[in-house]
Amino acid sequence: MRCISLLILTLVIFGSLISTEPSQSQEKTLDDQANEISHSLLCPVCQGQSVAESNSNLANDMRQVIRKKLQEGQSRDEIVAYFIETYGETILGAPPAKGVNWVLWILPGLAIVLGLFGIVIFLYQAGSKKEEKLEIAEKTKSKSDGIYLDKIDEELKREET
Amino acid sequence: MKFFRTANHIVVFVIIVVFIGLLAYSIFGNRETPKSSPLIGKKAPDFTLNLFDGTDLTLSELRGNTVLVNFWASWCMPCRQEARALENSWQRYKDDDVIFIGVNVWDDSSNARSYMNKFGGAYPHGIDPEEEIQVDYGVGGVPETYFIDSSGYVRNKFTGTLTEQIIDYFVTKTIEEKDINIEDENTK
Repeated sequence: MRCISLLILTLVIFGSLISTEPSQSQEKTLDDQANEISHSLLCPVCQGQSVAESNSNLANDMRQVIRKKLQEGQSRDEIVAYFIETYGETILGAPPAKGVNWVLWILPGLAIVLGLFGIVIFLYQAGSKKEEKLEIAEKTKSKSDGIYLDKIDEELKREET
Repeated sequence: MKFFRTANHIVVFVIIVVFIGLLAYSIFGNRETPKSSPLIGKKAPDFTLNLFDGTDLTLSELRGNTVLVNFWASWCMPCRQEARALENSWQRYKDDDVIFIGVNVWDDSSNARSYMNKFGGAYPHGIDPEEEIQVDYGVGGVPETYFIDSSGYVRNKFTGTLTEQIIDYFVTKTIEEKDINIEDENTK
């Protein structure tokens, strides 16, 4: 009985996964594509706003052009290339990963790695210095302790005699 | 211990080299400035304007002439300031294979017409019903002016208020540059 219920449960789960698959793989609507492209482009006359976010006349025109080009069957890359050709690479929300721009992509990760490396070195050095200090302290302590114990022994002997 | 000291030095060295490199690139790097246009040296995007006199004008039909394309709007104060200079220059150049075109953008057509009545409209002015020209030319604001040579290549761009001297300078420059070969563009 338990096996049968497990089998039914498995079939239900797989069935639901299969039934949801086509909707996930459905092509994005024109609005979604236009919105996605608009978000990836910076409005040339605004302060840090994307074409999708800006209410300027130019951003409005740009959104219309994006829609028109999508309706004509142009791909996302072709449309972005068109905007780079007219406004330059500064229109891109994120710098393309090529040439010197690689530095911008690598630098944050590199900074984190170097920072972690620096912390490890610092902690290691601090730890080893602490150990050294403890060693020295123990040595000096045992040395001084020895002197005092010797003195106590001497005094005890003196009293005994 | 010695390894860590050496590694420490290498890390500091790498950081210094990276920052010096970035600083050098920001100073000497060949980057586009906001006022230059990626279109300079490229074929001018073609367009057809609906002129205010009811006729149409297509840029590619003006091949053989030096063309000044001025983007303006009636609400734009610098456009009003430069209107007289454009009219005067047009009067001087109209017999020399130099054509001026005014493209009215982001405007109300009745306001644009009254603007033209007030500030003159001797040379062709029009609008793009599709409102695409300004995007094709990478216009960021008004006034902006593009200078196209007789072969149909964008040679110069000027952002801001024009004067007769500035117009003379760029028209002359555009006429002189027309014989300079543009790499790869002729093969397109």
